[in-house]
Amino acid sequence: MPTTPVLLVEDDPTDFRLIQRAFNKISDGFQMFRLSDGDEVIAYLSGEAPYENRGAHPMPALVLLDIKLPRRSGFEVLQWLRRQASGLNRLPVIILTSSRHSADINRAYDLGANSYLVKPDTGAQLEELASQFQTYWLRMNEFPSLRPEIAR
Amino acid sequence: MPQEILRTILLVEDETPDAMLLLRGFQKADVLNPVVHLTNGDEALAYLAGIREYGNRTQYPLPALILLDLKLPGMTGIQLLQWMRVQGEIRRIPVVVLTNDDNPDTIDAAYDLGANSYLVKPGNSADIARMVQAIQRYWVKLNEPPQLVMRAGQQ
Repeated sequence: MPTTPVLLVEDDPTDFRLIQRAFNKISDGFQMFRLSDGDEVIAYLSGEAPYENRGAHPMPALVLLDIKLPRRSGFEVLQWLRRQASGLNRLPVIILTSSRHSADINRAYDLGANSYLVKPDTGAQLEELASQFQTYWLRMNEFPSLRPEIAR
Repeated sequence: MPQEILRTILLVEDETPDAMLLLRGFQKADVLNPVVHLTNGDEALAYLAGIREYGNRTQYPLPALILLDLKLPGMTGIQLLQWMRVQGEIRRIPVVVLTNDDNPDTIDAAYDLGANSYLVKPGNSADIARMVQAIQRYWVKLNEPPQLVMRAGQQ
């Protein structure tokens, strides 16, 4: 199985550690890297400094995005992303958040989120989430092409 | 979760053998959610809009998930996605494209029109059953669906 680059956007260090641990337990089919605020995500996806080198900072095949982030929120990142040209607008985004509010859920879908997951309460549930995520997104889903330089 | 009302899944698929395999897959995966199977894009549009015989949302509830083939008689899956995109709350409903077409241009077009995910139908029934199970575990059990107001568009 080829290695899929997955971008995790999570500002809370504890949540980050828990998510990383659960995902590492279930799979070696992906490479997860983390950013912790909305401005960084936009710089990364745009390939701005210090992220110009795509060898070191590959374009992710999908993004796991928290909503509550310092500086630009997850919603603002999503809105920015869906307005981009040259295929970046297609990048699949899965919201991973602690909010169960229907206003947040609806807003995420209105802004073009591909899926909305609520962070589970226990480590076992988080591993189950990681396992379903792997089976579905990494093994079955077909990803779009994002940019001319990484087109198939 | 168990006390929750089981939300409807809409399957839009014109090929009878494929639909049979998918529906059987749902049974095998113990999917208790009602699955509404429609065989063309115009029917799917009427169902989602709540028009014609589909005016009663109690009887024909808005789905929590749509599994959409692209090659359909009449209105295509791509045209249905296009239509959904400019609707009100209907545009929020997650759409998983489920098709034989693995052309990268088609995949890109589907995502451009807001498809939530894109799956290529496997060739054999065991793999289809596995795919249906993964769909059920991910989209029915794990994913939070949008909140939709249950009313017909034309009432």
